[in-house]
Formats: sequence, structure tokens, C-alpha cells
Amino acid sequence: MSKSAADTQATTPKSPAKQSFIGSLFGHQESGLVLVIILMMTALSAYGLWSPIQQKTPITLDGNATVKLLDSAGVEHDSLARTEISGYRVTLNGQTTNYTSQTIERYDSSSRTLIEVRSANRFLNKGNLVQIAKNASFFAIMAVGMTGVIILAGIDLSVGSIYGLSAIVGAMAMNSLGTDASLLVSIPVGIGVCVGVGAMCGLANGAMTVGFNVHPFVITLGMMATLRGLTVFLPQYFFDQQSIGNLPSSFQSSFIKAEFMGVYPVPIVFMIVIAIAGWFVLSRTVFGRRIMAIGGNETAARYAGIPVGRVKIMVYTITGALAGLSAAIYIGYLGSAETNAGNAYELQVIAATVIGGASLMGGRGTAMGAVLGAIIIQLINNAMVILNVDPSVNQIVMGAAIVLAVIIDQTKQKLARRKS
Amino acid sequence: MNLYRTMFATTAAITLIAGSSLVGCSKSANKAPKKTATSEVQEVTYTIAIIAKSNSNPPFLAAKTGAMDMGKKLTESLKGVTVQVNWQTPPQEDAQLQAQYVEQLVASGIDGIAISVSDANTLNGVLKDAIAKGVVVVTFDSDAPDSGRMAYYGVDDKEAGRELMRQLAPMLKGNGTVAVLTGNPAASNLAARVQGVVEEAENWEGVNIKQVYSFTPETATEAVAKMQQVQSANPDINGWALVGGWPLYTDNALDGIYENAKIVSMDPLPLPIAYALKGQVQVLVGQPYYGWGAKSVEMIIDKLHYDESPESELVIAPFDIVTSENAEEYLKKWDGWLKED
Repeated sequence: MSKSAADTQATTPKSPAKQSFIGSLFGHQESGLVLVIILMMTALSAYGLWSPIQQKTPITLDGNATVKLLDSAGVEHDSLARTEISGYRVTLNGQTTNYTSQTIERYDSSSRTLIEVRSANRFLNKGNLVQIAKNASFFAIMAVGMTGVIILAGIDLSVGSIYGLSAIVGAMAMNSLGTDASLLVSIPVGIGVCVGVGAMCGLANGAMTVGFNVHPFVITLGMMATLRGLTVFLPQYFFDQQSIGNLPSSFQSSFIKAEFMGVYPVPIVFMIVIAIAGWFVLSRTVFGRRIMAIGGNETAARYAGIPVGRVKIMVYTITGALAGLSAAIYIGYLGSAETNAGNAYELQVIAATVIGGASLMGGRGTAMGAVLGAIIIQLINNAMVILNVDPSVNQIVMGAAIVLAVIIDQTKQKLARRKS
Repeated sequence: MNLYRTMFATTAAITLIAGSSLVGCSKSANKAPKKTATSEVQEVTYTIAIIAKSNSNPPFLAAKTGAMDMGKKLTESLKGVTVQVNWQTPPQEDAQLQAQYVEQLVASGIDGIAISVSDANTLNGVLKDAIAKGVVVVTFDSDAPDSGRMAYYGVDDKEAGRELMRQLAPMLKGNGTVAVLTGNPAASNLAARVQGVVEEAENWEGVNIKQVYSFTPETATEAVAKMQQVQSANPDINGWALVGGWPLYTDNALDGIYENAKIVSMDPLPLPIAYALKGQVQVLVGQPYYGWGAKSVEMIIDKLHYDESPESELVIAPFDIVTSENAEEYLKKWDGWLKED
């Protein structure tokens, strides 16, 4: 610390407390991630401002209304190329309303709608921001579980397959309820079956890893293939199809895909709840401290009396259950499950966890970091769509982001070691 | 630490400015930047997204070229019109990612979407939402009839499957054990082709379907592995009906197979045509790959610009039959379809 700074602290007693608050704010493990998110959002907002979009709102016309297209001289036409339309004249019960082509983009005669437009920021609009958070939620929920596994210095390559199998089995169970099943039935069945299947798969992962003392990479790799095979086989065997739809509408439109102010925020609520729960468990409970201790030094943890095997099995089970929960949200949101669901999602989940600051060597990671990591990945995806970049480049950027995150993390660790 | 603080303050300020600008922007609805009124003709930009099934599948690259070409052609031919075509396709087949792309594109103000649907059940909801928000939706290659899309462009898939068997069965001369190779079994177009193959086989005495073999992800490597394994385990197979051309996108995929079996396949792409020229594949049944993109963009622009819909919502394209005799000629078409921008 420089002399002047030290002097300032000496003369102003309140400063140290203020400094430590700011210091702790920026010293926090997730502060760098928040900064990255703010920077990305700022850049994208600026681009969105420079290149705005036309948000569309269809206005359905009364069946008796007649619509005439007006040219630049105000002459009425039944049909006209859009570049020649300067306005629209709608007549209903003798009353005439004129619209300019600046506010009405086009008239769709098939659906009898006028498409109203208004300018908006391409990135910073409610719909787009909710999309990003919603898309992140599927991966973030799984990433919270994966964080626990990675803190243990383990890995779970089967989360994508658990997600797929839970979704398929959950969809099969809900399909059998019929589309009219009530909310009181569809929610427990939908969530219960998906989470149950996921937890069973996770339990199998944990039990085999601990029981056979085999590295989780091998066990979960085998489970990844096995569960994917089951995901294809079960619906084919029982339903003779590979995509299960016709789920209870109550589970979709009244629950997971419930609409609030024109958007669907329920998956985001789940993500927030799971993030808080993950933070609480990892940082405020004995169970969380045991996970950290095992990841830091498994042998020492064992000598300290921590039931290492039991903790590991529980962590893998929770990870499976969270993959199942994510699957329940997926089928509730999209209204179906298909056998390809979750294919290669383990890479995105692990990427979110690593970007979020978890160390693959074990002993370090946070639930909040994993969620922020998932949001960063979705921000990158969104940027690619907004900037109209070829999706192949997306993979390059994603890979580079993961490598960069690991390099930054390693550098940070080295600096911290030197300091201490 | 000071650097962090400065960066944070700056970015926060910029975010606030951008946010406040958004509010101002939304209120000024009349300042539509896409349209500039002139005396007679206004200028309009139509933005259309093409969402194929996978970025690594060559037929979809022809569709991309078709869409881009049609975009340029319409921009040149329609006065005051700019057609911008965005290629937005998952790296690997993924219905959930397709659904996310649809939602993101709608949120980013897209005018039209042409999509080859990986799973209709998964996409129906988001396509309905897109249509409800004024986006014109067309499907190609693989349909989602319950989504409310304006039109589907492609071959009749069941008829394509029947055509494969109509070509294969006479070559087997009343003694055929046929294996059917398909990709993602969830894709409705592939399921329809398989059904066509199986149904047509019933019309040919002495021709039996051994089994329908599926594989995912739909990559050439996976397809070759599947074919080699199946043939090796079932030497009695003397006919293959490939409802997609996946294994033929690599060299030497049919070693150990073509000597023992007659092979007919969908998709006369450049690499599969090489197999036809070598005599390892007897018949290739082609789809309108270039047209998937070109025709889809044309239909969307017809709707956006002239408010015109196709007469039927099913716009069925004819097949191309490619054998060793016309393979060279068909190969030349690909030079144009796969050109670089």
C-alpha cells in the first residue's frame, strides 16, 4: 500500500470498513464473472442500439372488417407490393381507420392480421433477455450439481444422457396421464418421475464409483452410453416412436410455460432457487464443508472421520436429480421429449462449471459461479445469433472461452500462491 | 483494484445509458429504420433465417447456397428490396437447440424462418409462438404440420422410400434380404421413408426386410460403423436401402459390403455419386437440396412482399434418379450448388 493511501486510512476511520466492503466485493470469486457479463451486455446493448429491430405485434381484425392498401397517392388497392404501400385503410361498420406503413409493417390476408411494428434494441429487450436466462437455466441447474462433483475432483460425463433418459421417461409417464390431467396430478408426476429417474442414475454413478473404486470418468462414460441406449430403446419399445408428445397442458401452459407479461420466466425461477440452494449447501452446511474437504485432500478427510464414500454417493445422486429436474423443465417448456435430447450437453455443463471457477483438480467451486458460467455461455450463443455469425464459429468461441477461463484461473492461483 | 473499480463504473454507466436509450427508442415507434419513404417506392429489408438440421450435413450446405442465391436474386430483381439470409443451424442435430434458435431469432426481429424440423413435437410450440408474433414460417426437408407453418417444401418422404425399394427390388431377382439404414429415428421425414421402403417391400415376392438400423448422431463415421457392423454380423444381407446418404460421405465406406449387396440410397451428393460411378451403389434418389433453400426463401418473400401464399401448403418436389449413366451430368450441378460465397 502506498504511503498516501495509508495516511488516508489513518485519518478517516470509516474508510477501512468501506475499503474492505469494496475489496470483498471485488475479491469475491464471482466478481470477475459478473464483470464479464456486464461487459458483454454493455457491448451487445450498444450494438443493439446501433442496429435496432422491428418488434412485431399482430392485430387480428374483426371478421367484417375490410382492408384496402393505399399507394403513395392515397389510392386504394386490393393487392400491392409492399414497397408500394404507403398505408392501410380498415373499414368496420362504416367506420374507417387509416394506418401508415411506418406503424403497420404488412397485412396478412390469410390470418386477417395487421402486423404492427415498433423499434427496439436488438439485444436489450425483455424478450431477448428472458430468452438468455431461460436457455441458461437448463444448463445452470445441471451445472450446480456438477460443481459438487468437480469440487470432489470427480467428473460426471453422463449428465446429458441422464437428462435425455429422465425427459423420455417423464414424458412417457405424463403422456399416459392424458392431455387433460390436472395440475395437482401432472406436477408431482412430471417432476417426481424426472427427478426420480435422474436421482437413480446418479445413485448408480456414485455407488459404482465408490463401490468398485473406479475413476468416475470411466463409470460415467459407460453410463453415458448405457443411458443413451435406454433413451432410444424405451420409447421405441413401449410407444413405437422416438418422440413423446401430447403431455398434460396443465404441466406446460399452467406451470413450466406459464406466461407472465408476454414472457415465460418459470425456468428462470427454478434456476435462481437451485442456485441459492446450491450456495447454501456448499457454503453453509456441514455437508458442503465435507465436499470441500474431500476435494481438497481426500486422504486427510478420511482420517478426519468424514464418510467419504457416503458423501460422494450423495453428491452424484444430487447431480443426477438436478439433471432430472432440468429435464422436467425441458419437457414442460417444449411439450415433448425426443431420444436425442441432451446429446453432448455434458460438455456445456462442464464448460459452465469450469468457466464459473470450479477447479478440475478439486477443492474449489461455487454454485453461483456455475450459474454465471451458464449465463456467459448463453450470452455468447445469443451474440452469435444477434451478430449473424456462422454457428460453427460459435463452437470455436466456446472452446476458446473455456481454455481462457482455465488459463485465467491458473494464473490467478499462481499469483495468489506467490502473494502468500 | 482501482482498475477493476474504474472498469465497473464505466461499464455500469454505459449500461445505464444504453438502457435509457432503449426506453427512448421504444417510444419512437415512427422512426422505423428499415423503411425510408420515397415518392413512389419504399425501401424494405427482409431478414430470413434458415435453420437446417445440422451444419455438417452436405445436403444442407446446398440448401444454404440456394437460399443465399435466391436472396441475392430477389434483392436484384425487386425494386427497393434487400433480402438478407441468415444461416442459423446447430452444429449437430438438436431439436432443443433449434427451438432456442427460433425463439432467439423471433426476439431479434426476424421476418421469416425456413426450417428443417428435427422433431416436430419439440418444435411445434415455438413455431406456433413465432407465427403468432407475425413471423412467416416455412418448413423444408422435414415437416411440422401441426405448427401452423405456411407451407412445406420437399419430396413426399413416404413416396421416396417406396421409390428406393422400387429401384432395389428388381435387382434382387426375387431373393432379397434387405437392411434399411436410417439416422435419427425421431425425425418424421426419415420415419416416413422407412415406412415407404417397408410397405413397398410387401409388394415384391421374395424380398424381406431384415431390420431397420438407426444411428445417432447423424454423422458419416457413425453411419459407416453401423453398416459395417451389421453386414459383418449378417452376411445374408444382399440389399441395402439407405434412407439418407450418410455413409457415402466418406471414402471406402462400402468395402466388404458392395461385393455382397446391391445398394440404393437417397442423396446423390458428390461423394455418393463417386460410389455410383465406381458401380458400388446402383441407384441414388435425389431431393431438391438447392431448392430447399431457394424455394423456401422465394415462398417467404412472396408472402412478405406480395401477401401471396402457395396454392397448397404441401409443395411437393419431384425426385432425381441418378445411376452410373447420368452421374457425371448430375455431378456438374453440384459445382454450382456448393460454390463458396
